[in-house]
Amino acid sequence: MIHQVQNPIVELHDLTVSYLQKPVLWGIDLTLPAASIIGIIGPNGAGKSTLLKAMMGLIELSSGYVKIFDQDLDKVRSRVSYVPQKESVDWDFPASALDVVLMGRYGKLGLFNRPRKADKEVAMECLRQVDMVDFAKRQISQLSGGQQQRVFLARALAQEADLYFMDEPFAGVDAATEKAIINLMKTMSNQGKTVVVVHHDLQSAQEYFDWAVLLNLRLIASGPVDQVMTTKLLQETYGGKLTLLAEVGELLTKKEFPSREKQWE
Amino acid sequence: MNIVDFISLSDPNVRFVVIGSMLLAASSAIVGCFTLLKKKALVGDAVAHSVLPGVCLAFLLSGVKNPVFLIIGAFITGWLSLVLIDFITARSKIKEDTAIGLILSVFFGIGILMLTVIQKSGNAAQSGLDHFLFGQAASLVGMDLIVFSAISLILIIAVVICYKELAIIAFDEGFAQSIGFPVRALELLLTTLTVLAVVTGIQAIGVVLMAAMLITPAAAARFWTSNLKVMILLAAALGALSGLIGAYISYLAPAMPTGPWIVMVISLIAILSFFLAPQKGILVRWFKQKNFQTQMLEENILKLFYQLGEINGNFYTPRTVEQIMERRPFQDFRLRKGLIKLKRQGYLESTSQGWAYTQAGKTKGQRITKLHRLWELYLTEYLRIAPDHVHEDAETIEHIITPELEKRLEEKLEYPRLDPHQSEIPYHK
Repeated sequence: MIHQVQNPIVELHDLTVSYLQKPVLWGIDLTLPAASIIGIIGPNGAGKSTLLKAMMGLIELSSGYVKIFDQDLDKVRSRVSYVPQKESVDWDFPASALDVVLMGRYGKLGLFNRPRKADKEVAMECLRQVDMVDFAKRQISQLSGGQQQRVFLARALAQEADLYFMDEPFAGVDAATEKAIINLMKTMSNQGKTVVVVHHDLQSAQEYFDWAVLLNLRLIASGPVDQVMTTKLLQETYGGKLTLLAEVGELLTKKEFPSREKQWE
Repeated sequence: MNIVDFISLSDPNVRFVVIGSMLLAASSAIVGCFTLLKKKALVGDAVAHSVLPGVCLAFLLSGVKNPVFLIIGAFITGWLSLVLIDFITARSKIKEDTAIGLILSVFFGIGILMLTVIQKSGNAAQSGLDHFLFGQAASLVGMDLIVFSAISLILIIAVVICYKELAIIAFDEGFAQSIGFPVRALELLLTTLTVLAVVTGIQAIGVVLMAAMLITPAAAARFWTSNLKVMILLAAALGALSGLIGAYISYLAPAMPTGPWIVMVISLIAILSFFLAPQKGILVRWFKQKNFQTQMLEENILKLFYQLGEINGNFYTPRTVEQIMERRPFQDFRLRKGLIKLKRQGYLESTSQGWAYTQAGKTKGQRITKLHRLWELYLTEYLRIAPDHVHEDAETIEHIITPELEKRLEEKLEYPRLDPHQSEIPYHK
């Protein structure tokens, strides 16, 4: 059940990613539709975050390519925003919420240019959209988990992009924040923006997303959420049918065997 | 050389040495802020030890003590050590801390070996080369002063220009990469700045102790502020102060190496920060704890008077210390201290028959009792905790509930009459 779309916003072709020789994503062919909220769903260790990082060019590909807006990422970077996992940064860093949101403007500013008054205004407006204006000057370590996630979202908004990749934005947040985030995503998709979200809660997936991508080391399904979230496909994603694939991967690591011939140097 | 001569800076020579020492201590502190935030403190230590063989090698090859050659030598081996650490970490199962330990000791060992060879060689130009181990600020004159100060200025300018870039790779490297910043080049820049910051100190502070000058001012400054810009300025100021004192000591006791003194001064500042800083300092936190305990004791005493009042139906009956202790065993001296303080605050009064509530005391004691019972009820009703398990929890929570939370609690539970142990919940009438 892999739907390929016309004029995709994101296109992956034969994408394989390996870590210590072990492929963590095998031969992914995937196209994603514009102006939708897309959930990437799969169990722990399925390679969801890796897929996101591969699309953002943050890790090396063993094979295949990624096209965004039918171009290389480098040409369209200013239209793409990436929200890393909240746990990937040290929240004890000496910065205020506003400082972090201002980082969303850095891409547009380029190297060595200072944020201007206009950038600060955009940042404040983005904080307003996530209901965090009162916390603008607050040191980030003093924010709750949900508030930290809102700050990350505000930073993404400050990028004024058309395509957003978000890694587990609902992890470790309170119910109110979860609701605020999903409302924000709906507003964004109504404005024609596309949001790609790594997610692991099956219950809310049906309700949150227009499009679902089921992943477990390889692509299992991609399509409109009601067609993809079926018992059969979910079982295939979460069930243990992958032992052979996993064992071959282990073998490659153990023997230090390259997953692709071109890796020989 | 007395203190007046030094402070007035009337001797131009002294003036330059002082300015030079302050400048290089400040510049390494500024770079150190980013090294610290990037969690590369140990890397600074490795570089500091690894520049020694470079300094010695430059001297061996050139035969003169020219600061430019020495800096080039120091820079090369300092850099090489970092490349090797990265290589070992990436290509073997050895973890970074082990790799740092390995490289640091190997490079430093080679450096000491070369230094010994030089000292035994009888080359007249080598006198003073051992200052590179522990530093001698007073020898920072002429060409040395100009070169080291120039590098310090370059460091400061580089940080000012690249402030935004250095900050973002220290906070969120993945994001920096996603917006197309040249993360690898910026990391290379930070590494270069770190090596250069160590190199500036080889004359005045000594290679071994430069690691401390990178990290300690930044660590001390972090205690006082959560604003990166303020932290950098403060680290620079603290570094400069220790540089100043170090230069003074260097004049006062020329036989004494300067490095250890500067490091002692900055370490003392760091320790003081550790204890005294607002919010993060140990003393403030200790004080808060103490206040909390006092507050709990006083409120518990007031609560006890209320419970005793409930038993005999008169809240204003005076109670002796013995009666109080019978009901709840406080530590004797703490109870007496608490009673006296409560009297001073106007919650209790002392009569010939013992201690008794004032009006205000009863109101407060009643509120604590109410909060205790409301919280017990909340735990049993909403968290389904057994009634015999809720008392301990309520003992703490009753002291921390704000009037706003109190109101919400009352509304949520709809002003209940009895707690889970069938005691009446006293509302203020």
